[in-house]
Amino acid sequence: MGAKPKLSMYWAASCGGCEIALVNLNEKILAVDAAFDFMFCPCLLDTKKKDIEALPDGDIAITLFNGSLRTEENREMAHLMRKKSKILIAFGSCSSAGCVTALGNLSPKGENFKTIYLDSPSVDNPKGIIPTPHTTVPEGVLELPAYLDRVKSLAQEVDVDYFIPGCPPEPHQIWSVIQAVTSGKPLPPKGSVLGGGTSSVCEECSRTRGDKKIKELRRTFDFKPEPDLCLLEQGLICMGIATRNGCGALCPKVNMPCTGCYGPPEGVEDQGAKMIGALGSIVDVEGLKELKEEEINTKVDEWIRSIPDLAGTFYKYTLAESLLNQLKGRKK
Amino acid sequence: MKVGVVFCKCGTAITEKIDADQVQQRLKKLYPDVDFVTVDLACSEGGKEFVEAYLKDKGIDRMVISACSPRDHENTFKGCMHRAGRNPYLMQMVNAREQIAWVTADKVAATDKAVRYLDAAVRRVMLHDKLESKQLDICPDVLIIGAGPAGLKTALTLAESGRKVIIVEKTPVIGGMPVRYEDTFPKMECGPCMLEPIMGDILHGPHSADIELLTMAEVQGVVGSYGNFIVQIKQRPRYVDPHKCIGCGECTAPCPVSTKNPFNYNLDEKKAVGFTFAGALPNSVYIDPEACVRFKGESCQLCKDACPVEGAFVFDDKERVLERNVGAIAVMIGSEVYDCSRIPNLGYGKFPEVYNSVEFERILSSTGPTSGEIKSRTGKPPENVAIVHCVGSLDSKHKDYCSSVCCQAAFKFSHLIDKRVPTAKITHFFKELVVPGKEEFHLFHEAQNNTKTKLIRYGSIEELKVSGSGERISMEHPNGKGATEKTIFDMVVLCPAMIPAEDTAKVGKLLELTQDKAGFFDEMHGRMDSSLSKVKGVCLAGTCQAPGDIQRSINQGLAAAGTILSGLVPGRKLEIDPIKASVDAARCSGCRVCNSVCPYKAISFDPAKKISHVNEVLCMGCGTCVAACPVGVIKGNHFSNQEIMAEIDGVLS
Ligand SMILES: Cc1cc2nc3c(=O)[nH]c(=O)nc-3n(C[C@H](O)[C@H](O)[C@H](O)COP(=O)(O)OP(=O)(O)OC[C@H]3O[C@@H](n4cnc5c(N)ncnc54)[C@H](O)[C@@H]3O)c2cc1C
Ligand code: SF4
Ligand code: SF4
Ligand code: SF4
Ligand code: SF4
Ligand code: SF4
Repeated sequence: MGAKPKLSMYWAASCGGCEIALVNLNEKILAVDAAFDFMFCPCLLDTKKKDIEALPDGDIAITLFNGSLRTEENREMAHLMRKKSKILIAFGSCSSAGCVTALGNLSPKGENFKTIYLDSPSVDNPKGIIPTPHTTVPEGVLELPAYLDRVKSLAQEVDVDYFIPGCPPEPHQIWSVIQAVTSGKPLPPKGSVLGGGTSSVCEECSRTRGDKKIKELRRTFDFKPEPDLCLLEQGLICMGIATRNGCGALCPKVNMPCTGCYGPPEGVEDQGAKMIGALGSIVDVEGLKELKEEEINTKVDEWIRSIPDLAGTFYKYTLAESLLNQLKGRKK
Repeated sequence: MKVGVVFCKCGTAITEKIDADQVQQRLKKLYPDVDFVTVDLACSEGGKEFVEAYLKDKGIDRMVISACSPRDHENTFKGCMHRAGRNPYLMQMVNAREQIAWVTADKVAATDKAVRYLDAAVRRVMLHDKLESKQLDICPDVLIIGAGPAGLKTALTLAESGRKVIIVEKTPVIGGMPVRYEDTFPKMECGPCMLEPIMGDILHGPHSADIELLTMAEVQGVVGSYGNFIVQIKQRPRYVDPHKCIGCGECTAPCPVSTKNPFNYNLDEKKAVGFTFAGALPNSVYIDPEACVRFKGESCQLCKDACPVEGAFVFDDKERVLERNVGAIAVMIGSEVYDCSRIPNLGYGKFPEVYNSVEFERILSSTGPTSGEIKSRTGKPPENVAIVHCVGSLDSKHKDYCSSVCCQAAFKFSHLIDKRVPTAKITHFFKELVVPGKEEFHLFHEAQNNTKTKLIRYGSIEELKVSGSGERISMEHPNGKGATEKTIFDMVVLCPAMIPAEDTAKVGKLLELTQDKAGFFDEMHGRMDSSLSKVKGVCLAGTCQAPGDIQRSINQGLAAAGTILSGLVPGRKLEIDPIKASVDAARCSGCRVCNSVCPYKAISFDPAKKISHVNEVLCMGCGTCVAACPVGVIKGNHFSNQEIMAEIDGVLS
């Protein structure tokens, strides 16, 4: 057993979908077990933090780290796993770029707590208790990991070797990464995205497309989309144009527009900004030609207002990494 | 890589605000390997020599020059790079004078700003690519679409300078609209006669050998771009060899079939074989296969039998598809008039006495349906004629614009009616009167001073209501004194708006030309470049670009010819500036976002490879597609995302 390289998977702020994706390797999970000593995974195994602390530094060959960094505990574990792993992989959208949890960065901590613990209709909290890192009860002091001011991606806290995109990553892509790592062949340069393509989802999408001109936006419940025509051209915001390929265009295949879970295409810094740039280039609001500037503004504003949730649409998976909240500290 | 910063003091214009020593020290700290030198006046002869020598002596291959606006001297310093044997694109200019010294009053702030700008420029210049301009062989020949005054003048001018010209004209005749006019404003010159010298030269002048005239022809396909277009032209059969036909017209009388004459707007009939009108050029008859009984299975050949020339008739003539290689295309397909029946209260199409302006031109013409005689339905000369201006023009319900020629055409009509039917009374109904120019007012004054002529202003075209009453028609109209009146007229002449020709959209699609709101072809710039379209190598002239008179159309044609002559010179290659966009074919997802964004129509989609492609001849390097491509695989040379981001980082650092 001891001769096999160690493999671990840690979850920070995540939904657990990434673990399910790993298990979705089905019988191939046996091959993973044959190649590795799968020794740490809080969702599936009973190894404890102290067991990891006891390991020599760099003892774990590969750690798949999923989930974003929301709490002090997430942060601590990120540092620990970095220290103990030879290869640290940011696994899935949360760990790569913040994903849905990072949408919490749109509001300050206090406001988030107010919504979660006080205002939410399903909450019954007559005393208005808000959790704090230390709570004194008759029996002593209770501790909770502190809530960070903002959600970070893994790479914003520690040095990351590779990234595997997806919410969650597709099993065949996880498999291709495992194969690459176990093949013994030279690994791609540090910082590379593994388990994805270098183009966009459209590359893998079989829908036919024409010159793109988007007259009006619609939502999936407004109509039944044509089965063979590009969804974006039918007025649905399909993030496929600005999303790294690799998933096999799963969503458009079943008439759902891509929401962008594979993150920005290779070399694109900000997925949301790219999407907005692209959409802005193909807006074709009827009768704009030769209108006065204010009239054009009004019409375009109307068009923009028809997008129900701007941040949630364009930055569903990447707000933590967006240029928007990083005036300082951009990766060089 | 050795980067050198040349800091020009611009006399004292820059250094009175920016402390050059401090800039040097702070830059040295940031970039120890970057060289720094100051110069008093970099753009002076001595300054340029200094820069050149500096580049050579210090082995500098990438230069940041901090001086004035690139608009002033970017090319000057590129020249220094070039003469020093350096690639001129490995240079970045910082506008320290206009953007810093002139606008930032505080010396400390100005110096700080200069350091940031230079930091940005140094980061950027290190990423610059060694770009090279390319040279392409060109074809100097030109295709002209439309043989109206604009097309003919352009063609002749080009041929006179030795260019080979191909003219494609849809109808069997050349000359466009004006050959249908008996007289033209402002000087009442005969339309066909005025154009005859040009048409004569085109057909058999000293340069006619360089002109290939294809009548009854249309362009049906265009590929390629500026310098090298391949054009496919479809020519309908004429069934008569125009080179053999001597134009005697012996064949027409024996022909048993008569058919509506479209050239006279169906106001009379013509034979299945014949001219469009007497004197039409080229001087050759043609057979209308829709009318001719031979094409309905009969064995008639009366025309051929009457023809004195052997072999002039070619009954088995076929449609031809020709291919020509040209370097530039001039689109001059003219215009037509607005359909007056869309304003039902004017009675057009309902009462035969109501004519539109082009029909009336034919009535006035000695080659027209009445041989130029103006007569009412009863066959008598009209006693009372109404001429309505601005029909559909300056009218938000129809055409917003002023058609610019209708008032003058209306006063031309007034003049001719008065001359030919001196007893006739004429009333002009106008919304606005437009007679600009140094000669154009004469006909207006003539009408104004004519006691038999009245001018009445109306507010909206709906105020004019034409109705039938027995032999004559009457019109309810404002009387100019605030009341409404009903008057009997024997003729109403409507002057409708000029609108783009029927084929505008079709031709536009072939050449990727865009149309404005009214449907005319979009020009590059309304004031500065109205004879150029937005597609490089495609020129515009005449009323297909905007309503106008013959003078304007001809001048614009000459402007187009000038552009073509200066841009495509035989023996000279087309130099392609390397600041262009290019698609990384391996990574393009084929999403087609970029396809419609290029203002110069430089991007095409390859359906087989499912990727997009930028044509480097057409691309102007504007960067629109670079911003649009959601995969980030379109690179704007010299303005790559990396270069721009490095610059931003430098300024914000
Ligand atoms: C009623 C009236 C009276 C006017 N009187 C005067 C006047 O007295 N004086 C004056 O200066 N101006 C006058 N004008 C304006 C004048 O007619 C125009 O300025 C002039 O005709 C414009 O010339 P052009 O070459 O642009 O177009 P046109 O004269 O319209 O010629 C265009 C040519 O292109 C051809 N064409 C069209 N489509 C195609 C195609 N798809 N392929 C190939 N060929 C095609 C047409 O058959 C035609 O031969 C008058 C206009 C009107 C409406
Ligand atoms: S449906 Fe979406 S993924 Fe498919 S081609 Fe259109 S934009 Fe691209
Ligand atoms: S189509 Fe888009 S949202 Fe769906 S799985 Fe693929 S990348 Fe994710
Ligand atoms: S062959 Fe046709 S065109 Fe000639 S005379 Fe007979 S009907 Fe007329
Ligand atoms: S850079 Fe501008 S001109 Fe060139 S292809 Fe792109 S959009 Fe067209
Ligand atoms: S926008 Fe970019 S990815 Fe899409 S077709 Fe154009 S070049 Fe290709």
